[in-house]
Amino acid sequence: MKKEGYKSVKRMTPAMRTIHWVNFFSMIVAIATGLYIGHPYYQSFIADPAVDKYVMAWNRWGHFMVAIIFDVTSIIVAYLYFFSRFEQPWRKVIPTKQNIKEFFEVLLNLLTLNRRKNFDSSHADSFNTVYFTIFHILLAWMLLTGLQLYVHGLASGESSIGAWWPWMLHVATDWTIPVTGGTLMDVRISHHYTMWFIIVWVIFHIYYQVWRTIYWREGDIAIAFGGEKFVKEQKEA
Amino acid sequence: MGIDKHDSVKSLFTAQSAKVNTNRGDAYYEKLYAQCRARLDELKALAPLNNRMDFKESIEEEGLDRRDFMKWASATTAMLMLPASFTPLVAEAAVLMNRVPVIWIELQDCAGNTEALIRSDGPKIDEIILDIISLEFNETLMAAAGHQAEKQLEDAVEHFKGKYLLFVEGSVPMGMDGYYGTIGANGETFIDHLTRLAKDAAAVVAVGSCATFGGIPAAAPNPTDAKGVMDVVKGKPIINIPACPANPSNMVGVILHYVLTGGIPELDSLLRPKFAFGYRIHDNCERRAHFDAGEFVEEWGDEGAKNNFCLYKVGCKGPMTFNNCSIVRYNEGVNWPVGVGRGCIGCSEPDFWDKYAYERPMANANIKAPTGGVEKSVDEFGLGLLTAAGVGIAIHAAASAVAGKKSEEN
Ligand code: SF4
Ligand code: SF4
Repeated sequence: MKKEGYKSVKRMTPAMRTIHWVNFFSMIVAIATGLYIGHPYYQSFIADPAVDKYVMAWNRWGHFMVAIIFDVTSIIVAYLYFFSRFEQPWRKVIPTKQNIKEFFEVLLNLLTLNRRKNFDSSHADSFNTVYFTIFHILLAWMLLTGLQLYVHGLASGESSIGAWWPWMLHVATDWTIPVTGGTLMDVRISHHYTMWFIIVWVIFHIYYQVWRTIYWREGDIAIAFGGEKFVKEQKEA
Repeated sequence: MGIDKHDSVKSLFTAQSAKVNTNRGDAYYEKLYAQCRARLDELKALAPLNNRMDFKESIEEEGLDRRDFMKWASATTAMLMLPASFTPLVAEAAVLMNRVPVIWIELQDCAGNTEALIRSDGPKIDEIILDIISLEFNETLMAAAGHQAEKQLEDAVEHFKGKYLLFVEGSVPMGMDGYYGTIGANGETFIDHLTRLAKDAAAVVAVGSCATFGGIPAAAPNPTDAKGVMDVVKGKPIINIPACPANPSNMVGVILHYVLTGGIPELDSLLRPKFAFGYRIHDNCERRAHFDAGEFVEEWGDEGAKNNFCLYKVGCKGPMTFNNCSIVRYNEGVNWPVGVGRGCIGCSEPDFWDKYAYERPMANANIKAPTGGVEKSVDEFGLGLLTAAGVGIAIHAAASAVAGKKSEEN
């Protein structure tokens, strides 16, 4: 149902959309279970025998499962970031003159409530790409601090999949202890704070996509679902 | 003593790995056994140092028989992660402990570790052993005072140069050139006192959280700029035995290990012996099943408390604390903090007073928010952040609705 004078542009491949929604559901589960692990906010009924409940254990199980899914999608995203055949986001993040200009133009567009729009809105713009990059940095931080917290439970140096796993986790994440402040508790606090930053990130992300859809009138919200949006045909085109 | 302790101490000291290895294979243990045997024979040839008690007599005086002693020896062998065949060696080493001189000094502290090792309901073998180790100098316990005490210290250092274990209790105040803490008629600062005595020691053992990481004197705002021993003493093997107070079993373990092997035990990255600090409280806690079940004490004295539920929601920090309280317990295995119904406060971890010791889960702890200064709980800060973002979005949305310009339609 294309409108006259508009053409559709492809913005997200099926793989990208799959990752987007996998992340969406993983995040909801991670936050719900993570808040419980940080501070068990609902109570299991005292009358039940302990074997039937396993409430904390299920929460932790869920948390670790979505964490692993997150880890896998993060690795794919990191790969696509540099080697995608579709669009390589790193090109939009490096601070070239053109990227910086575009970044501020998009920001001004938002601040002037769409009274100024001097950029090509058909492609992923620098502003949004920077914003997504921040998200993936936050996620990587969650991954590293989370695995550090996780390896505390493998103190014997063994795991069900062998000794290499805790060894690798120590090598890959022990540095987060001094970086966050020197104690295991600092890693936990940092992991918890980062969750809040991610929630705030998500809130603005959703708002911004809806706002663009309403004011730009290019169907941006459809990108995450159908993979396409619409832009006006350039007059000279 | 012929064995080159310095080298064996050094090589053990540099062992680096996070793994607790309880089975190193027969070849390793056979070699170690021979080494320990030789070491004990050597020590046996030496006369006991000028010490107050004979081990066998002390045991009999306390009404313990040889069976109790052997039970203790096998438990201690297991604690040190040695195979059962080492039990007779450990028993022998215990009797020979009066051959190794120990100098015990106190800096900025409450003498709680000294108290821990001398006070317990019925003195049992750990405590007896700490009575018979050749404690050449200990301010709290000895009779001498003033110049006499100082003289005794000088004599001990002179006599046992390079051979004594220096036990340090208490933190080192670094502020004001160290003049927050001085000792003796000459007003020697704690910094100088410690460095001087450490110079001639075979190894330095920091006992308790203050001596290891600064402990309570180093808690915010740390007025005396208190530091742990490992931040002050350089170029000496250091063993940290944190906890508030350090468990006498772990002190005995370290001395025994030294008597037995002439070296110091394998250490973790915070210089804590792995035999004691290699495991997490939470993984050996008797309330762990309630944690997994989600059964928590909600407030002190409630139904959950009566049922010995998990103490996580009243602030137990067992999940982030490495120590062996949940295994060896205190006072000869009588009980331990979580056993009596209050959570672990992470006393064996750095900065425990500021970062662990509150009776709430971490998410609700009042700690410094990243905005600086203001004490806030992590979740309060997060909700504040969320509210700020929400308000910003609401303003933008309202402004857009009123004054926003929709792009032209064709
Ligand atoms: S009481 Fe503490 S150490 Fe024990 S299971 Fe609960 S949280 Fe873990
Ligand atoms: S249970 Fe925790 S707070 Fe208590 S002595 Fe052990 S490590 Fe310290």
